[in-house]
Amino acid sequence: MTVPDEKFFAWLDGELSPDEAALVEAEVARSPELARTAEQHRAMQSRLKMAFDTVAEAPVPGRIRPNANVVDFVAAKRARAAGRWGSPAQWAAMAATLAIGIFAGTLIVPRASGPVEVQGGRLYAAASLNRALDSELASAPGTGPVRIGLTFRDQSGAVCRTFTDPQSSGLACRNGSRWQLRGLFAAPEGQSGPYRMAGGMDPNLAALVDSSIAGDPLDAAQEKAAKAKGWR
Amino acid sequence: MDPSQSFEDQLGALLPRLRRFAHTLSRDSADADDLTQATVERALRSKAQWQPGTRLDSWAYRIMRNLWIDTARSRSRKARIEATPEEAELIGEDPRTAMDAALDLKRMMAAMERLPDEQREVVALILVEGFGYREVCEMLDLPMGTVSSRLVRGRNRLLAMVGEQ
Repeated sequence: MTVPDEKFFAWLDGELSPDEAALVEAEVARSPELARTAEQHRAMQSRLKMAFDTVAEAPVPGRIRPNANVVDFVAAKRARAAGRWGSPAQWAAMAATLAIGIFAGTLIVPRASGPVEVQGGRLYAAASLNRALDSELASAPGTGPVRIGLTFRDQSGAVCRTFTDPQSSGLACRNGSRWQLRGLFAAPEGQSGPYRMAGGMDPNLAALVDSSIAGDPLDAAQEKAAKAKGWR
Repeated sequence: MDPSQSFEDQLGALLPRLRRFAHTLSRDSADADDLTQATVERALRSKAQWQPGTRLDSWAYRIMRNLWIDTARSRSRKARIEATPEEAELIGEDPRTAMDAALDLKRMMAAMERLPDEQREVVALILVEGFGYREVCEMLDLPMGTVSSRLVRGRNRLLAMVGEQ
């Protein structure tokens, strides 16, 4: 080839100055071999582009959706680190929230029919809550009443997950093969029901997460990987 | 890109292109969509590091490329070494039977998969995503000579795999 490869392809890609391009153009016009190579590469590139363009033209699948909880939490953490901690509204919201059961081993009053059970003085997730904690990904919410929010590792390395159902929200962490509840908070008066998710994380729960978390929450890929490893 | 739009809206508008780039890097569509989602999350979390007025697309592409290196590279290298005879056959099939570009996507993904990573990313960014050489040098932090020689080797290898039409 009378034109160096790099230069030939730069010409093909429109990367040369007009003067340089004219020189290569003239070479290609003189050489049937170069002209054929140019044609083959143009055809290959157009085939490559057409194939991948089908992806860009297709609707974006609904499952590609950032976990807003992770994003909000990280943003809130930064805002607090920057010194904007504790607006009066935040404290009012905290005061309005009723803690109904909280912290390792200390049982207050679990809901009579709630998806929790007591064993050895500890509160564990059961039934639908246990299923959701075990199997749901925040990036791919299921149809059940329980929604998973953040997944993270606490300072001891255990996987913890926040959850919300129509009546409450809370935090559960892996203890052996079970999910032990670290906190459970009732929805503020008048805010229960399916729409309370819109209000963001319960401030008590956010404070509890803040005091437990080591590093940042897991992102979608890390959450999936943690699930694959049985939340170990 | 409309600079008056919010960061989130601009990022949302980039999603189809980011997905396309993810498909050029990934082994299959499921991996590509995982990579896209991880990229969007990382971008939203790193929002403060993006400087308004600079190109959001190059910034987001760089995030995706780095995530791909972190997470998928070892896996895809392993997969390439273990490429099955069926896959090799798929790449070599007569393209004229694949009139539908959507069907051709599978073949092209398989061919891209067989390129060395450093050639694949350059081929993807320039030939599929349409970035200029200079933009790719900046994005990948590489000198011009390296980018253009990887591009030459990558596209020659691709042509040898998918053949003439």
